[in-house]
Amino acid sequence: MKTKWQGIELKVHGPRASLGRVSAVMSNTLRETGRTRAFYGVLIVAMLLLFGSVILSDLALVNQKARLVQDFGLFTIPLVTILTGVLLGVVLLQKEIEKKTLYAILPKPIRRGEFLLGKYLGLCTLLLLEMLVLALCWFAVLALRGGEISAPIFSALLLSYVEVMLITAIATFFSSLSSPLLSGILTLGMFIIGRISYIIVDLMNASKGVFAEVAAMRWLGRGIMVVVPDLSAFNISDELLLGWPVTPEYLLHSIGYGLSYSAIFLVLGLLVFERRDLT
Amino acid sequence: MSKILEVSHLSKTFRVGLLARPVVAVRDVSFSMEPGQVLGYLGPNGSGKTTSIKCILGLIQPSQGDIRLFGQSSNSAEARTRVGYMPEHPYFYDYLKPTEVLDYVGQLFGIDAQVRRKRIPELLERLGLGHAMDRTLRGFSKGMLQRVGIAQSLLNDPDLLIYDEPMSGLDPVGRKELRELLVELREEGRSIFITSHILSDIENICDSVVILNQGVAIAEGPLDTLLQRDKLQSSATIRLPSGEQRQAAVDALVALPAVTASTETEGAMMIRLPTDAVPQLSAKAAECGAHLVDLQPVRDTLEELFMRKAVTTASDSGDDS
Repeated sequence: MKTKWQGIELKVHGPRASLGRVSAVMSNTLRETGRTRAFYGVLIVAMLLLFGSVILSDLALVNQKARLVQDFGLFTIPLVTILTGVLLGVVLLQKEIEKKTLYAILPKPIRRGEFLLGKYLGLCTLLLLEMLVLALCWFAVLALRGGEISAPIFSALLLSYVEVMLITAIATFFSSLSSPLLSGILTLGMFIIGRISYIIVDLMNASKGVFAEVAAMRWLGRGIMVVVPDLSAFNISDELLLGWPVTPEYLLHSIGYGLSYSAIFLVLGLLVFERRDLT
Repeated sequence: MSKILEVSHLSKTFRVGLLARPVVAVRDVSFSMEPGQVLGYLGPNGSGKTTSIKCILGLIQPSQGDIRLFGQSSNSAEARTRVGYMPEHPYFYDYLKPTEVLDYVGQLFGIDAQVRRKRIPELLERLGLGHAMDRTLRGFSKGMLQRVGIAQSLLNDPDLLIYDEPMSGLDPVGRKELRELLVELREEGRSIFITSHILSDIENICDSVVILNQGVAIAEGPLDTLLQRDKLQSSATIRLPSGEQRQAAVDALVALPAVTASTETEGAMMIRLPTDAVPQLSAKAAECGAHLVDLQPVRDTLEELFMRKAVTTASDSGDDS
């Protein structure tokens, strides 16, 4: 029998070992999600849409063609990447539980937090690759229409990716406590409310409308402001349209805001996942 | 030497349905394992075997009780490095090749990449998967997946192997090969915790057993003691006399204190009793005009033990209620 080895060394303690485990789960998740047919379906449709914007731009005024392609890309790329994140994020843990693959992994010396983080980072890496592919298509179309690929465009993409990371963290959190369908509905609900929460804030500040007049709604509005991240922080399309500068301070603040909220949702997800019985 | 595994008063209650109705899966189970021991954790389907394993491995939290692996908390990384686990129906990522599954597992154990590259093909070769190393698991048969499960459980060179229903779904050849492998693993000095609902399959492998029924341990201890292997039993065939003497002979033989079981057929009867009481039986038979015509040694089986215990437990609980 040759299964008994002499002097095999198992390194399971310390930050380096922990990083190794996270990275193992991350690579496997990247490999797993990268084989999802739905992912390629969404990617191909998005690429076709971006290339299709060339045709759409013919309908625009002569000096507005590049503008249209730019706006179309700024709208399409984050939306498609976020939808992919939600689609894959809500089944992130559920799939492992349903397929029972988790039962062979978690009894190994890996913490549930490391597993969850690895899954999340693996998915985020895939979404980054998706965004890069779509951005390259977009740049090609933009160049074709004589548009300028300026620094603010890169800032817009960077902030969009932070938004993608945040929505994926929300999907991961919901995935740790409910079914994929419910997780999907809740995540998309958070996304939509997050996108329009600035309107609620404006209404409350302006002291008009139902959020200012009804006490219960005022409390609800305040609750939404605390629980749901304000996703308008990642949207700089107005700045691009009007040619306003995007300061490094604003960028850093928005990135910090997004990453902090992502961390909060991941920690909440971990707290739930840590106590969950894997029956 | 400290215990490999100590389970004290383990209980697990699940809450099911909208009204969170409590369902007791395991109730106050205690047992322990010594180094090098092979423990059979036996019982019918739904008796709480897998729930107990999931508690031991931290997949679910016990409602009550304490579990120690190698003297440490069962959730400690240190303890987990010394355990190899194969779940029932081992499911792995079917898009991976066996080498990739083992590489992933090796990374979780912090095994050096160079060591992984050397050991993984060796292990797969040893388990008869050398020809399938470059195929994804998608096309693997049940038996081949079981081998991958065993390979990943041995990668960290564990002291304790926990196998949940390893025989389940295997054909007779696969079961025989697995039995042989388990014997080899035992000979290497590994402790093995094995569950099964097919009692005869692992009767010859285990040193000790815990028998569960409806979440309760109904028997626990060394197999030899439980099966009373130190007390040899025999089955005697007695040819009975004809006529009026027949009933008198039957009554006299059954009345012997050593007789544990008897069945009467046409012209003969079968009597089960300890082997050392056979001369007494033979003498009594001759006295009644009967003849001892055949004698066979008999051994209690795990299945018989289980049935006996299950019936006793059921009647005890019936008496209680």
